[in-house]
Amino acid sequence: MGKITNSSSSSIDSSNHPSISSATSSLPQPKRDLSTDLRLGLSISTSQPDDSSSNSREQPSDWPSLKPLLRCTIAEKGNNRQHPTLFVKVYMEGIPIGRKLDLFAHNNYDSLVRTLSQMFRTTILCPDIDEVLSGNDHVLTYEDKEGDWMMVGDVPWEMFLTTVKRLKITRANQC
Amino acid sequence: MAYSFPEEVLEHVFSFIHSDKDRNAVSLVCKSWYEIERWCRRRIFVGNCYAVSPRIVIRRFPEVRSVSLKGKPHFADFNLVPEGWGGYVYPWISAMAEAYPWLEELRLKRMVVTDEALELISRSFKNFSALVLSSCEGFTTDGLAAIAANCRNLKELDLRECDVDDRSGNWLSHFPESCTSLVSLSFSCLEGEVSFSALERLVSRCTNLRALRLNHSVPLDKLPNLLRRAPQLVDLGMGAYTAELRPELYSRLGNAFAGCKGLKSLSGFWDVVPSYLPATYSVCAGITFLNLSYATIQSPDLIKLIRQCRNLQRLWVLDYIEDSGLNALAASCKDLEELRVFPSDPFGQEANVSLTEQGLVSVSEGCPKLQSVLYFCRQMTNAALFTIARNRPNMTRFRLCIIEPRTPDYLTLQPLDAGFGAIVEHCKDLRRLSLSGLLTDLVFEYIGTHAQKLEMLSVAFAGESDLGLHHVLSGCKSLRKLEIRDCPFGDKALFVNASKLETMRSLWMSSCSVSFGACKLLGQKMPRLNVEVIDERAPPDLRPESEPIERLYVYRTIAGPRLDMPGFVWTMGDEKSATEFS
Repeated sequence: MGKITNSSSSSIDSSNHPSISSATSSLPQPKRDLSTDLRLGLSISTSQPDDSSSNSREQPSDWPSLKPLLRCTIAEKGNNRQHPTLFVKVYMEGIPIGRKLDLFAHNNYDSLVRTLSQMFRTTILCPDIDEVLSGNDHVLTYEDKEGDWMMVGDVPWEMFLTTVKRLKITRANQC
Repeated sequence: MAYSFPEEVLEHVFSFIHSDKDRNAVSLVCKSWYEIERWCRRRIFVGNCYAVSPRIVIRRFPEVRSVSLKGKPHFADFNLVPEGWGGYVYPWISAMAEAYPWLEELRLKRMVVTDEALELISRSFKNFSALVLSSCEGFTTDGLAAIAANCRNLKELDLRECDVDDRSGNWLSHFPESCTSLVSLSFSCLEGEVSFSALERLVSRCTNLRALRLNHSVPLDKLPNLLRRAPQLVDLGMGAYTAELRPELYSRLGNAFAGCKGLKSLSGFWDVVPSYLPATYSVCAGITFLNLSYATIQSPDLIKLIRQCRNLQRLWVLDYIEDSGLNALAASCKDLEELRVFPSDPFGQEANVSLTEQGLVSVSEGCPKLQSVLYFCRQMTNAALFTIARNRPNMTRFRLCIIEPRTPDYLTLQPLDAGFGAIVEHCKDLRRLSLSGLLTDLVFEYIGTHAQKLEMLSVAFAGESDLGLHHVLSGCKSLRKLEIRDCPFGDKALFVNASKLETMRSLWMSSCSVSFGACKLLGQKMPRLNVEVIDERAPPDLRPESEPIERLYVYRTIAGPRLDMPGFVWTMGDEKSATEFS
């Protein structure tokens, strides 16, 4: 049980219990020392406080034994340990597999459109600014909380965030 | 030989026998009792959907009205079973659509349910009245819309902790205006919004509604209207319990709650604002179940609420309650039977709240009826476990989760073997046990020796050798489900106790030391077991036979190997699998 010294040192000084490391074990060690994962994950995350994705990557998804709904709710609240996120699904017309995007990672429509243009490798136009919409261009639409499909960009960004449910990139000549 | 009673009389007598165990015993008396019993059995419970096939069930029990099915193993709740493993309900629905046109109730747990399955249910059973889905996935709100629209006599629609894809389309509005039969409507796990006007109208016209569990999208200011339309409610799951502080909302809430004189169960409490809690006080004296698992409020506010609930029997709460709150609970709630304390910060390295073993000891002292415990904490001592065991020999379910794996007794630095040993020794009716902390093979010796009524055991990061597993498998007479992760248990204990596995529902072992060779042998020798190797790396036959597999799931079955396995699951000992490897 040589792993014990590692696992306990996160909360108790390893010099306090030398006896445990001498316990015999002739069997192969369990493959994953989750406690080390936990510790490493947390120390990595504290050195990069702004990178919310590293927090979620390092936390094991199967320990401690919590059901997903509770785990998510707790993680969201979790003492501001993680940045809040707002992931929405994004589909492009003609492509059955969608993507997911964190809207909170953007501050305005420009940033959103630029990211989506890169993600889907297309030009997304703003209907106000850009002229004549040809067949190969796309526009960005969203489904709001009432189930209606609207053009992105009409309401202030903050208001958009409170009402958007999912995004769709459609061909310009459809609008 | 002439029988004293005609069949009709026996059938009438059997109609008073409800428990499955008793009905199974009845059917073993003689052939004619078997025949009579099988024609009049109305409810069946299938604990493992792969233990038997729909065809076999239907052949034996032709007149069933209520079916319960469970799919994935319990550890699937914690992401230990890869996506796509199985547990599909559609084959069952399609078989029952033909065989059981009078089916009324369907209860599914940990199964993959599709919109097609829900649509088929809604069209196939004219008297369908109850659908309960617990921890299910694979369907969308479109499927719910079909149930709402087509099931004329629907009494119960309960979604518990399901993963549902929320499409807009307003499933709730699909309940026709003529639907007045609902008794229970529970959708707290849905993420999306529902139409309030449809909900209000539905609640208004369903005058028998007893249980209503909303999701967090229903804002607090809509709650008074709903409650006023359903003063007969017994079970309420609130939506978001937060709003800016407005006196008129507070008084509307207070009046609405006061009107619900029969409320026994309260849950929801998302985003709860403490100032609104006193609005519930008028009903608290009658509350027997309080679910505060989502209420991120501090101990003082929790204590004030709990002190109002003098008749509380079950409490689920976050560890914000702290030891001080548990002391108050022990002092106020003498009828408490079940306590669940969940961690508010499970990934933090250090305790964020002052919740220790003392809190649990307090409750075990103050609450004489306490029999079911689920407790997440960060420290424990053998002494505390001794005290709990001696205080509460009536304990039947004891699940302790010390968050850091392999944590020893923090005072003596010893393993917690003796403490758990005391639990199994004193609590002679213990049916369910989850272990945690630093544990050697000794704890399993205690369990094998004393836990004679134990039916389900969950083990993680414990033990030292195969002896541990052997103690449990050779000792626990009543064992039905054993789930193990990250323990140094391997082949020997499985071989020696192979026949024990036929007396159990299932065995799960992940990240242990079970070799592929042993699994093959077990599968070959035990035809009445499905020995499933679940391994997301390359096929196990491409590696040395002595190498440990990722996951093992063994269950008894009379249906033979299943045919719906994904690419990362192999059934051992099956001729078809054997030829795939060659």
